[in-house]
Amino acid sequence: MTVASQVKQTLASLKGIHAGLQQLALTSQDETAQRTFHEAMLATEEIIADIKDRIGRLEFEEPQYHGK
Amino acid sequence: MPIWLETAIRSICILIGLFVITRILGKKQLSKLSFFEYIVGITVGDIAGTMSVDLGISLQEGITSILIWSLFPVAVARLSLRNKKFRDFVEGNSTVFIKNGKILEENLKREKYTVDELLEQLRKKDVFRVADVEFAVLEPNGDLNVLLKREKQPLTVGDVFPNPPREKEPQTVIMDGMILDEPLATMGLGRGWLKEQLDKQGVAIENVFLAQVDSYGQLTIDLYDDKIQIAEPQEKKLLLAAMKKVQADLELYALQTNSEEAKALYERNAAKMAELVQKVEPLLRN
Repeated sequence: MTVASQVKQTLASLKGIHAGLQQLALTSQDETAQRTFHEAMLATEEIIADIKDRIGRLEFEEPQYHGK
Repeated sequence: MPIWLETAIRSICILIGLFVITRILGKKQLSKLSFFEYIVGITVGDIAGTMSVDLGISLQEGITSILIWSLFPVAVARLSLRNKKFRDFVEGNSTVFIKNGKILEENLKREKYTVDELLEQLRKKDVFRVADVEFAVLEPNGDLNVLLKREKQPLTVGDVFPNPPREKEPQTVIMDGMILDEPLATMGLGRGWLKEQLDKQGVAIENVFLAQVDSYGQLTIDLYDDKIQIAEPQEKKLLLAAMKKVQADLELYALQTNSEEAKALYERNAAKMAELVQKVEPLLRN
C-alpha cells in the first residue's frame, strides 16, 4: 500500500469519526455532553482539512498514485 | 333480606368508599412519617372492617366516624403545610443521638432508648463500631439515620473522577411490542429513527418486549425470545477505538515521512487527536 492510499484510509476513518461525533452531539440529552461532542466534531474538521491538504501534495509529488 | 346479602352489599360499598378515601389521603399517608399518620391508617382500616362485618353498627354511625378519621388528617396536613410551629407540634421533632462522634446520653434517656437498642439500630444501618459514626439522629417516625465519618463513607464516582459525565434517565420507547411515541419525542427522536436502529440490530418491532434509549441515544432491547442473542450497543466504543487508531496512524506517518513540513503537520494533528481522545473518553467509555 502506498503512502497516499494509507493517508486516504486515515482520512476516511476521520470522516467516520466526524459523523459519529455529530450524531452523538445531536442525540445526547445532557448539555455538557452535547457541547463536548460538538467541539470535538469541529476539531476533527480542522484535522480533516489538514490531511486533505497533505493528500493533495502527496498526489502532486507522486502523480503515478493519483486517484488510488 | 338475608344476612349474607346485607353483609355483601355493605362490604362492597365500604370497599369502594375506602378506595376513594385512600386516594384522598394520598401517598404521604403510606410513608407513615409520623406516629399520628401510622395510627390513623390502622384505625380507618379497623373501622371499615368492623363496619362491614358487624351488622349491629348502623351505617350512619360508621360513615360519620370513618369520615372524621379520614378527613381530620387531611385538614392537619393542610395546616401543617402553612405553619411551621403547628407542624413541629403534630409531626414531632427529631432527636440527635450522636453528635461529633459522641453519644448524647441525655437524649437517649429522654427517648427511653437503651444503649443496646441504639447499637441494634446502628447495626441495622451496617454500622458495628460507634466510633465510625459522626452524627446519628432519631427521626419522628422512629428510624435512626446515620452519617458516617468522612474516612468511613463509601467511595463514590465523584471521589474517583472529579467531573464524571452526567447521565439522564433512560426512556422506555417500546413496551409489549408497541411503540410509545411520547417518550420518543422527549428524546427528540421519531419512529423512523427507531425503525432504523432495530433494523441495524436485525429485529422486528413485534418481537421486542421492551426497548429503552439512554441519554446518549443508544438503544437497548429485550426480546420475547430469550434464546436470541443481541449485541450490546458498540457504537461509542467503536468510535473511541477509531479515534485512537487515527491518532496512532498520524504518529506513525510523522515518523515515516522524510519531509520536515509533512512531519510537522502530522505531529501537530496527532497531538490534536490525542487531546480530543482525552476529552471525549469519559463520555464514550461506558
